Amino acid sequence: MAGTIIGQGLTIEGELTSDEEVVVAGTIRGKLSADGPVTIEAGALVEADISAASLAVGGTVTGNVSAAERVDLLGGARLIGDVKAARLTIADGASFKGNVDMDV
Amino acid sequence: MSSVSIIGAGTTVRGSIRGEGDLEIHGHVEGVVVVTGEVIITETALLKSDVRARRIIVRGAVAGDVSAEEAIVLEPGARVLGDLGAPQIGIRPGALVRGNVSTGGPLPETKSVPAATPAAAANNRSARAVAAPAARSAPTRAAAPAPAARPVAAARLAPPAARPAPAARPVPVSHARPEPTPSAPSAAVIAKPPVDEHEAEAEADIDEAEEDEASEGGPPPPVVPALRKGAKASLRRKGAR
Repeated sequence: MAGTIIGQGLTIEGELTSDEEVVVAGTIRGKLSADGPVTIEAGALVEADISAASLAVGGTVTGNVSAAERVDLLGGARLIGDVKAARLTIADGASFKGNVDMDV
Repeated sequence: MSSVSIIGAGTTVRGSIRGEGDLEIHGHVEGVVVVTGEVIITETALLKSDVRARRIIVRGAVAGDVSAEEAIVLEPGARVLGDLGAPQIGIRPGALVRGNVSTGGPLPETKSVPAATPAAAANNRSARAVAAPAARSAPTRAAAPAPAARPVAAARLAPPAARPAPAARPVPVSHARPEPTPSAPSAAVIAKPPVDEHEAEAEADIDEAEEDEASEGGPPPPVVPALRKGAKASLRRKGAR
């Protein structure tokens, strides 16, 4: 079971910090930082800077994103913001606007 | 898609959590929790926030008001510092409450919803807390001896003719002080050495009062914040010498 789940219909305005897995299906405005994997599910809305061990985006994210390991933009994802990660995948159907820093 | 949300044990939320569905809190929350469904606050949870929901089950620690439209259940291990309000309230043996408990229904919205932002909540609390000390300190200020140091320093720093902006404030004081004032005590203590800043501030307050009385004939009363600032500055400058 995931550590933290922000369900559909739930809105967090503020700062969410976690040292475990975070799954977002609802809305977050503010800041999201986790030491574990973060999943933004389809239909979720995140207007926040995100830092995570790894990040999978299926929903809409507005904000800068940094991951220690990887960032995956899944089909249908929408990301506006800069990405900083060692690995980045952008699936077919994902939309992305921003800069990428892969720490070469 | 599940409408159940979980704040895990390793998770901290600072801000508001609002929305529909049920919520399980294992972690820390500072802010406000307003949910339409059921809220379960588990043993590991620590909330510094008001909680509103349809049904609330508490096994952990809550510092804030808890209000439910249907029921509140405090199970063993629950620690609540705040008011409880719901049509049904259950407090099991081993649960701890400090606050008002009302089974008349949910607490009025005005109590927790305008206090929705943490800052506003803090203001409400501190306003209550501050009222008493302020009242208590008032007589102390009136009784505080008036150190003579500031008029002296003020006279040195700001000759009455010139009114430089920073030192402008003490000028009326230097006028008022050396002249024999009707209040005997302040004249008597005028020789006393300056004490600490607190008393300086206290004196500043007295000066405000005196100047208010003397303002009819003399120069217009200075702006209050400038007065207090100057009092400290002149004290500090004097200490440096």
